[in-house]
Amino acid sequence: MKINLLILFTLSIFRFSFSETTVLRMIGPEDIGNAWHTIIEQFEKQNPDIKIKYISGPWSTDERQNMYIRSFLGKEPVEIVYMDVTWTAKFAENGWLVPLDKWFTKDLEKEFIQSAVDAGRYKGKIYRIPVRADVGVLYYRKDIVKNPPRTWEEFEEICSKIPENMYCLSFQGMQYEGLVCNFFEYFWGAGGTFFKNGKLNLNSQATVEALKFMKNLIDKGYSPKSVITFQEQHSLNFFMEGKSVFMRNWPYAWNILNKENSKLKGKVGISPVLHKNGFESHGTLGGWGLGIAKGVKNLEAAWKFIEFATSENSQRILHFRRGAVPSRKNLFFDEKILEESPHYKELYKILLNAKPRPVHPEYPKISDTLQKHISAVLVGIETPKEATEIIYKTIDGILKGEKENYLKRIFYDYTLWRTSINTVYFTIISVPIEFLLGLAISLLINLKIKGRNLARLGVLIPWALPTAVMAMSWQWMFNNPFGVINDVLIKIGILNQPFDWLSSPEGAMFAAIFADVWKTTPFVVIILLSGLQSIPKELLESISIDGAKGFTKFWNVTFPLLLPFVRVALIFRLIHAAGIFDLIWVLTKGGPADSTKTIAIYIYDLAFRYDEIGYAIFLTIIFLIILVLLTIFIIRITTLKYEKIK
Amino acid sequence: MKKFLIYSGIFAVVFYCLLPFIWTVITAFKPPDEVFSLPVKYLPSKLSFENFENVFYKRPFFTYIKNSLIVSFGGTLLTILLAAIISFKLRYMPVSKALSIQKWLLIGAIIPPTVLVIPIFLIIKELNLVNNYLGLILSYTFLNLPFGIWMLYAAFMKIPKELDEAALIDGFKKSGILFKIILPLSKPGLSVATILTFIFCWNEFLIALTLMPDETKYTVPVGISMLSGVSVYEIPWGEINAAVTITVLPIIVIIAIFQKWIIEGLTSGGVKG
Repeated sequence: MKINLLILFTLSIFRFSFSETTVLRMIGPEDIGNAWHTIIEQFEKQNPDIKIKYISGPWSTDERQNMYIRSFLGKEPVEIVYMDVTWTAKFAENGWLVPLDKWFTKDLEKEFIQSAVDAGRYKGKIYRIPVRADVGVLYYRKDIVKNPPRTWEEFEEICSKIPENMYCLSFQGMQYEGLVCNFFEYFWGAGGTFFKNGKLNLNSQATVEALKFMKNLIDKGYSPKSVITFQEQHSLNFFMEGKSVFMRNWPYAWNILNKENSKLKGKVGISPVLHKNGFESHGTLGGWGLGIAKGVKNLEAAWKFIEFATSENSQRILHFRRGAVPSRKNLFFDEKILEESPHYKELYKILLNAKPRPVHPEYPKISDTLQKHISAVLVGIETPKEATEIIYKTIDGILKGEKENYLKRIFYDYTLWRTSINTVYFTIISVPIEFLLGLAISLLINLKIKGRNLARLGVLIPWALPTAVMAMSWQWMFNNPFGVINDVLIKIGILNQPFDWLSSPEGAMFAAIFADVWKTTPFVVIILLSGLQSIPKELLESISIDGAKGFTKFWNVTFPLLLPFVRVALIFRLIHAAGIFDLIWVLTKGGPADSTKTIAIYIYDLAFRYDEIGYAIFLTIIFLIILVLLTIFIIRITTLKYEKIK
Repeated sequence: MKKFLIYSGIFAVVFYCLLPFIWTVITAFKPPDEVFSLPVKYLPSKLSFENFENVFYKRPFFTYIKNSLIVSFGGTLLTILLAAIISFKLRYMPVSKALSIQKWLLIGAIIPPTVLVIPIFLIIKELNLVNNYLGLILSYTFLNLPFGIWMLYAAFMKIPKELDEAALIDGFKKSGILFKIILPLSKPGLSVATILTFIFCWNEFLIALTLMPDETKYTVPVGISMLSGVSVYEIPWGEINAAVTITVLPIIVIIAIFQKWIIEGLTSGGVKG
């Protein structure tokens, strides 16, 4: 009896200590160089009762932010928030983060680079401790250019003299956050400030000039046209292959450029980003930091990890393993680090001059607006002046808080109108094509011939395959330069040179419609086929005897009998085309410059990216009403005709 | 001549329908470095399985498949079970009333998922079922139930009602009649409904994306789509095409095997887009 009790007692102790283990999760990009795993291993050795789970998320920062937001909304927050500078304000404003002032003392703060710390502060409280700092810099080829340009003017002068087979500048021109970072550097470099006397100052000359300069880079051939598809990695590849003299990028590129097998080893220098004559250079401050999600039970454990991960030791690991720039001042004077990265001297100066992007809870929307219109300028849809005006108006509206009245908001919601037009355009082009093609195919495979079963199987397949997955297939086929579609079109002489399907507005819309026709025509075929089979054969035969032939027979007999099926097919197709999401979301993400963004994607973004679920529901209801009206309208017109013929 | 035209027409249709799939398979079997070769190679120089290995080795593709299987089987099972019970109830109603109920159900089924995703998310969140298989299974059941009822009702109505009466006299309970007599007798309709519901669940993207934000809970379509979103050189196209092939091939096989039933089932019952 006693022994039994003893066993029970020890068991309960064990159980107690097992359940004491705290598991903390964090989301980051793929752990290159195993840096994070090393840090976590060391930490877990010191703290055996805490387990850290590093979730390897997608490369895209936006996508990882969405993962965090969805986890906050879903009541199961990911405990350790590994965040970009721009997320802090929004996350803090929504009450998703725990303030860290209790632990982050003034003495501790002094050890970090001030601007990197400040980026984690919102309304006087600290929410994010910097792990790594980042700043936009200009890389140049030391073997081609002796003195790097400081100003726009010097830059243009050098660019007119570079080797002929090279471009001048490689930068990030795709519609995403990186584009905004590039833009702000030109904007600040032309004397721009986001706010002036507490008022939005984006309608200043600096915006127009920054946009003009960026557009010029492409127009004058300083940068390749394909720069509008570049993110960091792509612009780095371009530079590494020796195709450009300069590159705007982040410090991480240094290590890659100076690797053993790199063609550019030892040939690259860094300097501050460009500015306009008479102004100052400011690189965009980037970097990552750690915070704690609200709702975490074991706060002490979470802070322990943050303290450990932001320590000199961990930052050194991050530096050596994946080229992360430290956020602690000391490390910039660390001999070992300087020996390996002599450029840190220059980098430190650049960092002290770095500017953060506007710290505002609505930053995601501000950035989105900027991305769209900068992209629109680069692609040539908007002039710098037009874009400046729209940017100012949209962002001013965002800042003034459009939360007042949804009904009012509809009328100045520029994105809503844009996406509505896209949706209508997509629907009225794709549905008639699908319908006519579907009708032709169904008539063809309704013929009594050998092999029609095979044809029917073929037709079933696109209908049965997953849209989102096949959208990847189409994205691959429309790829430039590796896609098969460009290759075929050039071979048969329709195109002279590869066309950028997915990164030009017309091309992207065409690709979306083309893929949708492929995917949904079979649906029309299936419905119409069942209609054709419901028509009694005797009827058709007797009419043939009466002398009706070909088209007359089809128009006067077959088609009217088919009308109920036509109606079903049309209603389904119209409604689903108007609500299209999967295909475009995967194929183009709504880009470039929002040219393929549909209402459904916009509403989804509102709900799950901008946390505006109220407005999203309001728009959903209006959308639903429109769909119902549309359905009634179709039923009316198809029924009327049917009765007339009767 | 006319025959030639017809056959070339049919060939064109089949080729067009299979085109993306064919190209994906070709790409998937290329050695990884040939995927990005210029000019584009139309056939792999040798058959390589490296892309397939990478999909499983480098990415948590097994987890995605496991998740997809769980929610698809769960969703299908629950949908078919509920649809069978409801259709069985409808069977005893006057046909006109049963049809008008179904009409309303079908109108509900026309509403695109994009309109439903926000309410579904809010409900599932309230139930604390985000990142939980059950949340997705319940949503799939809700979305596919009208279709399931439509198909099963049509199948059940082909069985004469006298059979039920005879079974009642033989001492069967009502549930016994449904599971031991009606369901076995409506095998073709039941299989088509099951197969198609399974395919709908397997293919679904939007709801899975929203209700399962945790990477360890991604279904296959979400997992594959998350590989994109980065610029041209970063996208692992070889692996993506391998993943697409693995996802899509079972569906094509199933469709090929059950082709005749599916076409019959679809053309006599309802169709979902």
